[in-house]
Parts: sequence; structure tokens; C-alpha cells
Amino acid sequence: MKIALIGQPNSGKSTLFNAVAGYRSLTSNFAGTTVEYTCGRARIAGEVIDLVDLPGLYSLNPANPAEICSREYLLQGDWDVAVNVIDASQLARSLELTLELRELKVPMVVCLNMMDEAARKGIRIDAALLSRELSVPVIEAIAARGQGIVETFHAAISADRNQFATASPFQYPPEVEFAIDRLAGRLASQRSEAALAPQSDTSGVDKTIASTSRLAAVAPPVVVVTAEKPSVQARALALQLLQADPQLVESLGEFTAAAVRESSEDLWRQTGQYADAAISSARHAACINVFKHVAQVTKPRHDWREHIDRFLMHPFWGYFFLAAIFLGFFRLVFDVGQIGETHILAGFDRLIVYMGQFIDPAGLVFAVLKGALLGTAGAFAVVLPYLVPFLIGLSILEDVGYLARVGYLMDAGMHRLGLHGTATVPVLLGYGCSVPAVLATRILRSPRDRFVAAFLAVLVPCSARMTVIMALVGYYMGALWALGIYALNLAVVILAGIILARVWPEISPGMLMEVPPYHRPSARVVLLKTWWRLREFVVVALPLLIVGSAVLGVVEFFDWATPINTALSPLTGLLGLPAAVGLTLIFGVLRKELSLLMLMQALGTTNVMSVMSAAQIVVFTLFVTFYLPCLATLASLVREVGRKLTAAASGTLLVLAVAIGLLARAVFHFLS
Amino acid sequence: MNLYQARSHSVLLISLISGGWGVRRNLNELGIHVGDEISVIRKAPFGGPLVVENRGHRVAIGKRLAEKIGVEVLR
Repeated sequence: MKIALIGQPNSGKSTLFNAVAGYRSLTSNFAGTTVEYTCGRARIAGEVIDLVDLPGLYSLNPANPAEICSREYLLQGDWDVAVNVIDASQLARSLELTLELRELKVPMVVCLNMMDEAARKGIRIDAALLSRELSVPVIEAIAARGQGIVETFHAAISADRNQFATASPFQYPPEVEFAIDRLAGRLASQRSEAALAPQSDTSGVDKTIASTSRLAAVAPPVVVVTAEKPSVQARALALQLLQADPQLVESLGEFTAAAVRESSEDLWRQTGQYADAAISSARHAACINVFKHVAQVTKPRHDWREHIDRFLMHPFWGYFFLAAIFLGFFRLVFDVGQIGETHILAGFDRLIVYMGQFIDPAGLVFAVLKGALLGTAGAFAVVLPYLVPFLIGLSILEDVGYLARVGYLMDAGMHRLGLHGTATVPVLLGYGCSVPAVLATRILRSPRDRFVAAFLAVLVPCSARMTVIMALVGYYMGALWALGIYALNLAVVILAGIILARVWPEISPGMLMEVPPYHRPSARVVLLKTWWRLREFVVVALPLLIVGSAVLGVVEFFDWATPINTALSPLTGLLGLPAAVGLTLIFGVLRKELSLLMLMQALGTTNVMSVMSAAQIVVFTLFVTFYLPCLATLASLVREVGRKLTAAASGTLLVLAVAIGLLARAVFHFLS
Repeated sequence: MNLYQARSHSVLLISLISGGWGVRRNLNELGIHVGDEISVIRKAPFGGPLVVENRGHRVAIGKRLAEKIGVEVLR
């Protein structure tokens, strides 16, 4: 048995899912997209059920890719019962999706979640009455505290399938019903004509039905299609078409487009609204009526959370707390990471020495194994100690609801860079590690915004590049010089944003984002989220690091450094760098801090200043800061924005790095 | 007047949503329709977004989107 969890964003759907499914769940992508859904298995009342957690969607007629994927999944009908999770404290708005689902007459159960939140707001809901109004089972729940979860799934398992096909759906006002019926009738008649004459290819309606909404798969197959009594499918299809993007409708063929236009014009004459707005408004009004009927609103309880936003969203203090929270967060990540790094690295060093007792340290096998071990050490000692606390902290900030406030505060500034406030988070994350930063761009709606945010996030120096900046420029030339490099980088980021905004202007009309009330984070949700994000890093980046480092071992063993350095000498010569740094630049792509470690090895000294001038150190550091993102980042970029854009971004970065390096060289030349 | 011109803490009636299908769609999805009564909770400085409350539900709306929403001041 397969249960699909569906609900609006922030309805607590995932809490319900995580409560029964847990860590073995698999995240998969919808075919051809980066939009993910989660599948899990749970045993409830002795029955094994498959659970599918779909991305939240506000309506069945959505505008963003994640929501469209959810809808497609629902309409394909590869599931048995839907559990519609509702935020009880937002009952009126949440019911809009519920009514749309009821319209499809699919087997479903409503989980009235966050009853505690509703009570705090002074909203008392009569669940039994709501159940009668909607003619679906309604179960009250507080998923975050584990209440009502098992009951919800019980109700889903024992739901009577036939009940949903026969119960009468909700009625729209007469003029809307008329328009729907008329369109449905025309679509149905066209369809039965097509059925009578299957060889005729003049009618694209069947294809329309199959491809645009796949309603055929959901609607009960017993309903006979006749012109007098439009079937559920034809009705549902008519509803979808009336609300759909007019551009999409035009692409569906002349017959369908003309029929939709006609009904839309009817509605326009009668209501003075566009068809989609008329239908949405009618549903909105119906939901408010249901809400008034089933809920009693009394005075809300005093809520201290109300006052938090007075500080955190304040025009001045808001930014103060924003800076304080993120500085504190990075400081914590850095401290925890350093402790982890020291201890884990020491362990790996012992392991390599131990290995030398069994394998000949002068042989190729040892070189390869040592390389692979060093790569593993890099992942476990240098990346994971920073990544784990970082991801936990991020999940907490997200779960609490603070990230929405960050988006609000940064929106004005980010628009100068052609992005919404929502894009602040991925770019800020870039200072920690580019991999989670790139993955975090998923929260953005348009592919264009996702690319721009990912590009800027990669441009920002991550903590690995920070070690290069600190250990070279900071150590040999002073902290002010290191700070200067950060300032220069920030200027480049802003400039790149402004240029990108010109070249590829944003199309989305402006930020629109829910500002959810603060929630107490649930340890289970935070840990599971961290684990899923971490698993992604382990799967994508770990193999690359291990193989790459093993190759490095081989290169060292056969002493292939000289030919590689010669091949790179045009680049190093152009930048005025010693030829020996060539190999370090190649391996810097594996892991940025490798270029630092290898620089000392390649130059044969730990005092870099003795063989490189101040100008060379600055040029080298700038080049390493800007040139290519590390392999792990490249791999996640390919996943998020595709190969083409990744290649374009990498090419741009390489050119940018050479240009900045040359500029720095010229500046030093004129100064001396 | 449009929503962006409204003052903080004012109560408004949405009279018009201009702009294309996408704009209407996004706003309707978040439960914002013509005829709704909303109140402005706060406004960010420097042309930033504003937060409006609609039946206890809070939404941040960016400047360019807010300018597409026509409102009447109720109080």
C-alpha cells in the first residue's frame, strides 16, 4: 500500500513522515529535475506501507517547478491514499488545497496538524463537523509531539475507497459552475467523437488529457463519458484548463484553446475577473465559509514569540542580530571543526605510519594507498568536522523559521545583485563550504536565480580557501593584507552580481514568501535533515577525493611533476609565478587547501617568503581564491544547474582569476 | 494607491491585483485575493519588502510585487 503525503509548505508534512519513516528513507529526483521527493517504508498496524513525501504545494495549479512535480506525481496516480496535512492554525487558507483534492474524488484523509498552535491562536476547530463538511475522515494531530500520527495512518489504511467517488464535491457559484460544465461538455463530446473515430488525428484532446494533466489516471474508470453528464475527469480537466497559464492553453491546439477562451470570456463577462482569479476567489470564499462554520475564534493566548520579530526584523536591530547570529554561528562551526580536524588527522597519521610496517614504503602500492588514505583523511578530518556542525546549525536556523527573516532583511540589498532576499542564505553559506551552498540554492524558484546564487556562492572564498589566504598572505604579509583580499573578493562578488543582473535580468516579479511563526526545532527532524544533506556530500565528493589523492600519490611516485609544470608554464609564466607551482594549481582543484600543502612541498621549503616575492604570494593566493571551484563543488554544481552552465561558470572563473592575477601583478610592478 | 504606499499598521482592502497570470497565481496560492482584508505589520527599510497579515497568516511581499496590488485604506 502506498500513501502520498501532500500539503502546503510548512504544514508539518515532513514531521509526520520522519516520525514513522526515519533515516533509511531515500530521496529521489523527479525525472530530469533537481526537485526531490522522499520515499520511506513504515510498519503501521501490522501493515507495511510505502510513504511518499512530496514537496509542499499551495494549490493544484502551481507556478514553480517543485510544486509542478508534486502535482504531476499526484495526477499520475501511482499511490493508493493521499494524506492531506493541514496547518490547523491556518485552516482557511489550507482548505483551498483540500477542496481541490476533493474535486478529484481521490481517496484521501485529512490530518489536522498543529492543533496546539491553533489553540494558542484562539482557534477551536470542530473536527467532526469539518469531516462532515468535506466528507473525508479528519484526524486531529500535533505531529511535532507525536500525537495523532498513528491515528492518521490508521485512518488512511482503512479509508473506504468508494466513499470518495460518490460523495458530492463542493459547488462553485452558478456562473463558475456554468463555465466549467460548458467547457467540460465540449471536451467530453470531443473526446467521445475521438473515441468513435480513433483513426482520425484531427483531435488533440485525448493527447491533451493524457499529457497536460494525466487526469485519466486518477479519475475512477467507471464513469461513463457522455455529453449530458460530464465525467469527473472532464470536469477536473476543465477546471485545470480554466486556471492554467493562458500561454500553456494556447499551445494545446486550436479546439481546446478556443473552448477554454470561450468559457473564460463567459466568466469575465459575469464576474469581471480572469477565469483563474474567479475560480480561486470562489474557492477562497468557500473555504472562509467552511472555516466560519467549523471553527470558533476567541482571543489568542499571549504569545511571547510575537515580540521576537520586533527585534529580529527591526530596521536597525534586525541587521545587528543578523550579523551577530551568523558570526556566532561561523565561529562555533570553526571552533568545533578545528577540534575535530586535529584529532582525526592525528589518527590518520598514525594509521599511515602503521601501514608502513606491512607494505614497502618505497613501492607503488604504498604510494597509492597513502594517497587514498590522505584523501579519506581530507574528507573526514578537514571537510566533515566543519560540514557536520554547519549543517546541524543550518537545519536548526531553518527549522526555527529564522531563514525567512534573513530573506526579509536582505531583500533590498540582494535586488541590487539581481536576486531576491531568499538567495542570501546560499551566498552566505559559501563562506563555510561551497558544496552545501550550492545545494541550498534549491530553495529558489527560478532556474536563473538558482544559477546566479550558485555562481556568487562559489565565488565567495570557502573555509578551505580561507586557510590558503590566512597561511600565505596573512602569515607572511600581515592580517590587513588578508582582510584586503576578502574585501577585494566582496567587491568582485558585488560587481559580478550587478553584471549578471544586466546580462541575464531577473524575471520573477518580486519576493513572495511565507513568514512562519517561530517553532521549537525538533531534534529528530534536524538530525535527519543533516544526515540527508551529509549523505549527499559523502556520495558525491568522497569518491572523488579518494581517487584524486591516489592519483596524486602515483604522480609523486613516478615524478611526473616536471612535465606537468612545463605544460602549465605559459600560465605560471604569464602570472609571474615560479614554474614549480603549476602542479599545486592542478591539485588545488581536488581540494583547495591542497594547493597550500603542496606549495611547500613543491618549493622544497616551509618558508615560502624565501623563494617567492610578496607580489608572487599575493598573485598566487588571488589566483587560488578565484580560479576553479573544487571537484566536490563542481559535482554539486552539475547536479543543480547542469553541465552547460557549470562549464560556463568554470570558464568565467578561470578567465576572471587570470585577469585578477595579472592586475595584481601589474599593480605590484608599478608600485616597486 | 498600491500596497507599497501603505503605512505600517494600516488595515487595507485589496481592490485589484494587476500583472499577469503568474503574479495572480502566486498571490492567490498564498491566500491573497481581491476583496481580502489585510494589515501591514512592518516594512523593511531601503525599498525592502513588507510583511502583511491575512487571517493570522504572515507573508513577506517584495516591493515590485507590492506595487502590483491595489488597496483601499480601511483604517
